[in-house]
Amino acid sequence: MTQYLQDPALWALVAGTPVAATAIVRGRKKISELRKERVELKQHYTQLEEHYAEAVEEAKDRAEEATKNTLKAAMRTLQGLASEQQLTISKIQETYGEHKILQDLLDIDHMNSQFARRAQSIAVLCDGWLGRRRNDASLYDVVRSAKGRIRHFTRVEIRSQSNFAIVSRAVEPVALVLAELLDNATSYSAPETMIEINIRPVPKGVCIVVDDAGVGMNEEEKARAGQLLSGGNSASVSSLGNPPQFGFTVIGVLAARYGFTVSVDSTSPYGGVRAVVLLPDELLTSLHEPEEGPAVAASNPLPPEIPPGQQSTPAPGRHRAPAAAAFGASNEGAPAASETTAGGLPKRRRRGAISIVPSATEDTPTPTRDSARTASAMGAFQRGTQSGRRSTQASSEGHEVP
Amino acid sequence: MTTDDEPELVQEAAELVRPYVITNGRDLVEDSAFSLLTLVTVAQEPPHQKPLDPEKQRLLELCAGGFLSIAEIAGHTGFPVGIVKILVFDLTEEGHLYARAPIPSAQLVERQILEEVLNGLQARFG
Repeated sequence: MTQYLQDPALWALVAGTPVAATAIVRGRKKISELRKERVELKQHYTQLEEHYAEAVEEAKDRAEEATKNTLKAAMRTLQGLASEQQLTISKIQETYGEHKILQDLLDIDHMNSQFARRAQSIAVLCDGWLGRRRNDASLYDVVRSAKGRIRHFTRVEIRSQSNFAIVSRAVEPVALVLAELLDNATSYSAPETMIEINIRPVPKGVCIVVDDAGVGMNEEEKARAGQLLSGGNSASVSSLGNPPQFGFTVIGVLAARYGFTVSVDSTSPYGGVRAVVLLPDELLTSLHEPEEGPAVAASNPLPPEIPPGQQSTPAPGRHRAPAAAAFGASNEGAPAASETTAGGLPKRRRRGAISIVPSATEDTPTPTRDSARTASAMGAFQRGTQSGRRSTQASSEGHEVP
Repeated sequence: MTTDDEPELVQEAAELVRPYVITNGRDLVEDSAFSLLTLVTVAQEPPHQKPLDPEKQRLLELCAGGFLSIAEIAGHTGFPVGIVKILVFDLTEEGHLYARAPIPSAQLVERQILEEVLNGLQARFG
């Protein structure tokens, strides 16, 4: 044992062990500290990264917002100008209605409508408004209005009329949506093919069906269109591509905003796309019925105001039921047509012809002069002409009878 | 998103359906076909067809009371004269309307005859 005690190596070992242990312990401590630090650093890093992503997102949003606001303001000006121009064109059309220039004015009007539609679409993408109509409009007129906003509008054929009308606030949105659909339909089909529009009442409202004879869409395109049309993802101006394709995006935004649905996932009978706009009852109203009353009342139950000889035969059944006649009970003679103007306003009915053409039954009354005086004057005139002719019979024979 | 803050169209809005849509892009009718004074009225036996456009229907109702001139129709409907001519032309072709030339204005009588009449009257009563 003693030889061991004298071994310096042992002493070295004895002295070295605690040192080594301390070193090891220290080392471990350091490692754990380092680990901790690393975790903290990692956390810090992720935090930073999140902040950064947030900042980028925020900056993007802010940029989008700023772009939208700028564009919206710019588009509002353009929209205003376009509708102002439309009014001016209307006035000039009326002024020069009988001149050849009208043809050009109609063309300008057409171009202006397309221009206005573009401005409206961009405004919609920027969360702007379309401008609200004051009156309800018949569905047929809204469809025709939409038709007029695309370039090749003569290819669009409206196959059915309807008695439905659209409430004022939805007139412009529905017209714009239809115009975008028609634009797509005409763009993706051959120039000589027609685009058909049918209006069908369904239990949930009214469907406007647009059929084209184009090439149709593949599944991928349909899926993408469906996503855009659902209006779920908010429209972003920066992701429209170049040239911008915003038809479906605009439609999606408007459909979501006004509560109607648009689908393009079916195939038309002609092999192209069938687009269906389903308008719910909330957006619909009927064409004003009350106009039927006043219109009939103007032509029938006011006999004293009707000039004599023009409508002397009483309406059938009047003497039977005089009270009922006042409210349209006897309108067999009147054409049973819709009694509203294109704008949905009550239509004024004329009481009778204002023509200057004398009708056969009319006995031109000359109220101020009594017949005896008239006869004597006419007689004097006749005698005068006869004596005049006699006096110069020979000389005037040449041109008396041409 | 509510629609309450939606502004109305600032100025009075133009017609929803533009004239070029009503005529479906038709070219103007030749001047020789109709004049401002051409008179139209509804045909005795109108053809039974699919429903007409509201504008054409309105035009028929206007003419139902007797003869109306193109100018008068334009005044009543507010359409440009050229548009009215197209609509009337179509309706005439389809047999809904009957058009006739304007009543010719009175022919000018030769001055000599008038003088002779005057002389005769003076000789008799003067």
